[in-house]
Amino acid sequence: MSVAAHSERPRLLDVRPRRLAPALAGALALVLVAGVAEIVLDGAAGRSPLIPLSPDISSWLSGVGERLGYRVFLVALLACSGAYAGLLALLAARRARGPAADSRGRDPSAAAGRELAAPGVLGAALSPRGAIVLVAALQLIVFAGPILLSTDVFSYIAYARMGVEHGLNPYQNGPLAIAGDPVFQYVGSDWIHVATAYGPLYTLLSYPLAPLGVAGALWGMKLEALLASAGTLALTWRCARARGFDPAFALVAVGANPLYVIYGLGGAHNDLIMMLAMMAAVSLTLESRARTPSGRREAAAAAWVVAGALIKATVAVLLPFMILSRRRLAPILGALAAIALGAVIGYAVFGIHGIDLVAALNRDAAFVSTDSFATEIAHLFGKPGVFPVDHDLLKAALVLILVQLLWRTWRGYDWVAASGWALLAISVTSTWLLAWYILWPLPLALVTRDRRLLAATLAVQGLFVVHQISPLLAPVK
Amino acid sequence: MSETSLAAERRRQWLPAWLRPREAEPRRGGRLWAIETTLLVLAGVFLAVATVNDLGREVDINHRLVADLATWRDYTHHDYVNISIDQETLGLDSGREVLCGNTRPGAPGSKTQICLAIWGAVVDGRRSVHGGWYLPPYHPDAPANRYGCFGPAGHGKCPR
Repeated sequence: MSVAAHSERPRLLDVRPRRLAPALAGALALVLVAGVAEIVLDGAAGRSPLIPLSPDISSWLSGVGERLGYRVFLVALLACSGAYAGLLALLAARRARGPAADSRGRDPSAAAGRELAAPGVLGAALSPRGAIVLVAALQLIVFAGPILLSTDVFSYIAYARMGVEHGLNPYQNGPLAIAGDPVFQYVGSDWIHVATAYGPLYTLLSYPLAPLGVAGALWGMKLEALLASAGTLALTWRCARARGFDPAFALVAVGANPLYVIYGLGGAHNDLIMMLAMMAAVSLTLESRARTPSGRREAAAAAWVVAGALIKATVAVLLPFMILSRRRLAPILGALAAIALGAVIGYAVFGIHGIDLVAALNRDAAFVSTDSFATEIAHLFGKPGVFPVDHDLLKAALVLILVQLLWRTWRGYDWVAASGWALLAISVTSTWLLAWYILWPLPLALVTRDRRLLAATLAVQGLFVVHQISPLLAPVK
Repeated sequence: MSETSLAAERRRQWLPAWLRPREAEPRRGGRLWAIETTLLVLAGVFLAVATVNDLGREVDINHRLVADLATWRDYTHHDYVNISIDQETLGLDSGREVLCGNTRPGAPGSKTQICLAIWGAVVDGRRSVHGGWYLPPYHPDAPANRYGCFGPAGHGKCPR
């Protein structure tokens, strides 16, 4: 066999996939947009168990869709998940072809690096501009529609109105304390007695929205979530590029993720704001590492983690990994300064309850949801549900995982990957698992070299989706 | 190594070697990676089995609830949609359910309600009624609210 034959063969074999890839990617992107649009338009028709009772903010969309039922929702969710998986596989396959197809005898790993960093890395499948258009379209469609699948946003508004309109401390009272307020009817029945578990920074961020009325505050919350999502995606892009990965792949993997779009942004969850702070911290440390190592940037990164924890405490788990990785004084000082500032402001506005995040976390850790893996495992072993001893076992397992990750980080393992694993472990061992919790590690998984984290995160999300489909297999009428 | 990395390295000279941060693990891959990956795959398989098992369990429950709803409608001769199903009163995971619904047309719970205790195998899309009780309008199914208990399942369930 001649050398010429060697070099010709891959080119001939490449012709068809190169032509098919854009068409296939385009079709998958259309399925994603159509699936999300179907959910939003049907949701706008109202009167659905999947759409919480809400002020009429999307009536201008009603009349296009029909009442959203479980069947349509689940079919759309499965179609979106399949299209998303197909799109990622297509893009990943295009990337993987790079080094192998290199017939000029260059170092495959170097070629891989260039391939990942090149702007046209998606090959012909989906251009970076196409990726941005797809993700922007999905975000805007959901923004225009009703609140999907969760009443949490009404709890956020209730806590804000409690403080601003009624002079009550949301860290000491549940929404029931403002039963006469117009927002009360929209708060989930499980939460009317529950005081806020969110950080004081988030509560203060929500206060300016309280005087806008329920509908105005709802739009404000949706806008906050959209901007936080846009910021998270921009920072994910930036971090991926800083680490030599394909930013467009990272953008699609986060911004077109069905759970991110439908559950996270659809419910206007404050997890998106927490993730923005998390990615700001990661971006600053990567910048610090790429340019001159700067104490100021590392201190700012640690302060961003604390700011994220003052939105939602979970993200605080990043801090020990960051500090252990850098082993400098700057991140410790940055974190301490931010903690001190947050504590002073939180105490001044909300009293001791406003800064007692540990109590709030302990309370939430006792909740049990049917979608949690803990519940599924309990059922697997013939138990009716999760018992206190199971909580203790899960906490012990989580501690073991965190210790292992800290040890690995000490030995030089990427702290961003370790943080992602920690967030994934928290969600998997939690007895209170909701769709937006398994989004936490996703942006981190896209900017780490340990691709097992991305595979594990997507696998957990896949299992979550599979667990939702029982109404499709056996509908109850 | 770049100049900036060298500068950073010099700044950390005061730290003992074992305390200095590392840019990467001493040996990437290898045995530890293989062990971790194996454990991850095993954990993934375990979670997948638990998820599929739970999905099957939920499908079974849904089939049972469909039979319960059909049984309630057959027994009362009311083709109502809003019927509450309680899976805890007769024991969580016991497969025994209590279904309550109005005795006359109206908003859910707004009329006198009849509650049926249903359990047993699904035969022709129905299960057996083993008794029940009545509830006044707008009253939840609490022991103090029950009256007119009937059948073996209703025995001892009414306060008077």
